[in-house]
Amino acid sequence: MDKNIKAIISDPMVDNNPITKQILGICSALAVTVKMEQAVVMSLALAFVLICSNVIISLLRKNIPGKIRIIVQLTVIASLVILIDELLKAYLYDISKQLSVFVALIITNCIIMGRAEAFAMQNNIKDAMYDGLGNAVGYGAILIIVSIFRELLGSGTLFNYSVIPSSIYLENGGWYVNNGLMLLAPGAFIILGLIVWVQRSYTKYVED
Amino acid sequence: MQHNNLYTFRFISIITLVASLLLALASTQLKELQEFNIDLDKKKNILKCIGIDVAIMTPDMIIDEYESNISNITLNTNGDVVTNIENKNLKSVQNKSTGQIQYYLDNIEYLPAYKASNPESFIIPIAGKGLWSTLFGYFALEKDLNTVKGISFYKHGETPGLGGEVEKKWFQDNFIGKKIFNSSAELISIKVVKGKAGDVLSSDALIHGVDGISGATITSRGVSEFLKNDLLRYEPYINRNKSN
Repeated sequence: MDKNIKAIISDPMVDNNPITKQILGICSALAVTVKMEQAVVMSLALAFVLICSNVIISLLRKNIPGKIRIIVQLTVIASLVILIDELLKAYLYDISKQLSVFVALIITNCIIMGRAEAFAMQNNIKDAMYDGLGNAVGYGAILIIVSIFRELLGSGTLFNYSVIPSSIYLENGGWYVNNGLMLLAPGAFIILGLIVWVQRSYTKYVED
Repeated sequence: MQHNNLYTFRFISIITLVASLLLALASTQLKELQEFNIDLDKKKNILKCIGIDVAIMTPDMIIDEYESNISNITLNTNGDVVTNIENKNLKSVQNKSTGQIQYYLDNIEYLPAYKASNPESFIIPIAGKGLWSTLFGYFALEKDLNTVKGISFYKHGETPGLGGEVEKKWFQDNFIGKKIFNSSAELISIKVVKGKAGDVLSSDALIHGVDGISGATITSRGVSEFLKNDLLRYEPYINRNKSN
């Protein structure tokens, strides 16, 4: 693969991760990471919107009048979000009920507007697509890591399968109790903070 | 890049036209599937409120179970059973201030309800305002028409983690086994208290109260209110058919 493309994809995964480095899209990262199932569906929905919006905006970039470029970007993004919301309601109704407003709120996710304005407006379609992919994977990876910790520690399950033997639970005569904090937003904040800490001490990145 | 105003107008018109056409197309194509899902979800919640574990059932099993177990019954406002009307033909009208749903056919009000044969129960639809939204659900009574069989909510827009807890098992399980009538046969309904029911209610009142949701006082109060209001509408029928 072209070195340039490799960089476009891999950069947002770690070094320039939209969540842990740029601290964008935190709201949904906190809200939909209680269960892995939700996190995966949310990541896929965001990937769909991000890749499509990057491609469409890159395709139109030479024709979009500068004065109304943000409005055009929003129209494209909002249409894609409504589309994915309708698709989820038709094919994954239960998960779409759990994700509730957060799918619709992809519209306001700073990652998508940010990539449209900062990358897709200046680059060709192929690069824009890879940039969308890279950022979507960077976002999805963090969501899934956070949700692994939250579901395992908060509910004792992974993808709704029990992984902690039921015999060690307090109500069955054992000593173990699920950590309720993990089900609430502060639990996600703490895990996200720890991930940022681990990542920054590894990459030696310091905020200016 | 400079563009004149005419170009700008033309460009944005084309973009919005294309986007709206695509969305309209998607919306009409997916409508049937979405409506099937909404209907299935209601059936699921009717079964859930009489204590059937729907989480492990496939859509086909839910439809089969519903068809064989649940029957519709329509009442008039005096509590008489009306036989020539089907629930699905009733037109629902929502009261904007309380969120209560009233059902009409040819300008006459009717009350839809459901009967389950196994376990034998009487189910009514409930709806009313919480904090941000109208909550929709079902409330089931055992065959004595006094003991609560269960409650479930299939639609609401309350804050997840706060008012949204109404859809959680811990909240709904608290209703099971409570009584809606007191010893002098008055309809008390079930009150969602502020805090733990055991701490704030006397032992007599405990049978009519459940734990509130912390951080969601208004949602809790809303549930108490609309549950009572909806039960009052069915009181004539319940009074006539309950066992003492």
